[in-house]
Amino acid sequence: MIEVSNLTKTYPGVLAVDELSFKVEKGEIVGFLGPNGAGKSTTMRILTCFLAPTSGSARLSGFDVVEQSMDVRRRVGYLPESNALYTEMRVEEYLLFRARLRDIPSGDRRTRVGEVLDKVRLADRRRSIIAHLSKGLRQRVGLADAILHRPEIVILDEPTIGLDPTQVRDVRELIRGLGQSHTVLLSSHILSEVEKVCGRVLILNRGRLVESGTPDEIANRLMKTGRVRLEIRGDGRTIKEALEKVPGVLRILWSGKGDLQTYLVEPKDGLDLRPQLMRASAAGGWDVYELGFERLSLEEAFAILTEAPSKGPGA
Amino acid sequence: MKTFLALTRRELGVYFVSPMAYIILTALLAIAGGMFFIAMRNAAAQQLPVDFSQTLAVIVYIVVLTSPLVTMRLIAEEKNKGTLEIMLTAPISDAAFVLAKFAAAMVLLAYLLVLTLGYLVIISRYGLVDTGAVVCGYFGVFLVGAVIYSIGLFVSSLCGSQITAGVITLALALLLVIAQLIAGTLAEGSFCNEVLAYIDIPTNFGDFLRGVVDRTRLVYLTSVIAFFLFLTTRILESRRWR
Repeated sequence: MIEVSNLTKTYPGVLAVDELSFKVEKGEIVGFLGPNGAGKSTTMRILTCFLAPTSGSARLSGFDVVEQSMDVRRRVGYLPESNALYTEMRVEEYLLFRARLRDIPSGDRRTRVGEVLDKVRLADRRRSIIAHLSKGLRQRVGLADAILHRPEIVILDEPTIGLDPTQVRDVRELIRGLGQSHTVLLSSHILSEVEKVCGRVLILNRGRLVESGTPDEIANRLMKTGRVRLEIRGDGRTIKEALEKVPGVLRILWSGKGDLQTYLVEPKDGLDLRPQLMRASAAGGWDVYELGFERLSLEEAFAILTEAPSKGPGA
Repeated sequence: MKTFLALTRRELGVYFVSPMAYIILTALLAIAGGMFFIAMRNAAAQQLPVDFSQTLAVIVYIVVLTSPLVTMRLIAEEKNKGTLEIMLTAPISDAAFVLAKFAAAMVLLAYLLVLTLGYLVIISRYGLVDTGAVVCGYFGVFLVGAVIYSIGLFVSSLCGSQITAGVITLALALLLVIAQLIAGTLAEGSFCNEVLAYIDIPTNFGDFLRGVVDRTRLVYLTSVIAFFLFLTTRILESRRWR
């Protein structure tokens, strides 16, 4: 359905998308995940033919985004991050206008608009002027527009951004419903968000694909890494210096209460350093009260993966 | 074609939802009406036929000077609000998008001009109307309007804010209106002098007022329109190769 290969997009002085390749099969709901500026929106704008790639190619339903832009546009429904609408129009009037642009036959337009309004539960607001609607309701108008022409592929850029928790749940339900008849690609910078609706997740960082798989797979892979928690009785500074000498130690966080010191040891490359740390403590002649392995939460693992500054406990 | 009409209709709708159309309409009818009143009184005092060309000349000035109000938001607003993204990801060609905006502005102009036909009805009650000159004059207003609107549309496509677009368009409109004045201060026959004299709107419009359609002028004005509409389309397309 969606085939992206070696997609690259540069803005003057910025490499927004870097040799990105991925595939989305028919009927999948795939989440694009990454911190702000990871290249999610840029990729989506290329897929929807708003921007053209600097190099590489993207095909949707077999049509190239550059060469067969009109064929792609006819088959894609898009909700941009800004969700900009013609706010002076009424909900139904706006959707009818969009239906006309989408070449939906005049006889079908009203029924089709009625259908999507029911689907996004806006039927009772059909006469409202869009400017008067709340953000959540506008988001639904945008969603209605994205599925109006029964596109094969629906691309949603941050569909739940700025919504309150109830609205977020509503939109999530809607997206899950879409998965039955459409291929969905959605983006988010919130992990838990994507985890709940997407069958597969693509994690982007600085324009590159850094991980992909089902949320569980990614969680398992990421959470192999963890850190060691140590409680040792003795002089805090001396112990810390000794532990830092252990090969494979990346960083040590130290907090002490009186005589008992607590250390959180972060290893390099997901190594398990428990034996080495135990030996180092024994060599120094300190009593170890606790030695444990702490798994990272998915959120923390994601933060490390995308190199956002991580805040561990005790830091 | 269907999409073009849908776009034009929505664009035209915006003029009447916002106060723009009414502001221009008021300015036009008030000032042109005053001019017409004076022309009628002079004609009555001198027992001469009414000279409608003065009123038409005033209409041209108003059309040109209010053009920023008509064109500034056309594309700049879509860029600013982000609606450009939903429009240009729908199956609409950039050219249809630009032409629909231009067509909406021209329909608005036609609507404004139709309202001024009332003056002619009044003249025809008391005297004769020089139909040839009047038709030619209106054609001239329409053509000059199209020129300045196509320039304004182009400026709007360059700007991210409609205020900037409006100010720049107004500056250009003023330049076109006083080009002859500036030309007069330059050495006769110099390049700048000739160019300014050529682009001057009152000069270009003068022939139409006298009921003369000069073919070179016609070609010149229509090519200016086509040129700027083409440039606007290219500017929109440029987001894809920049």
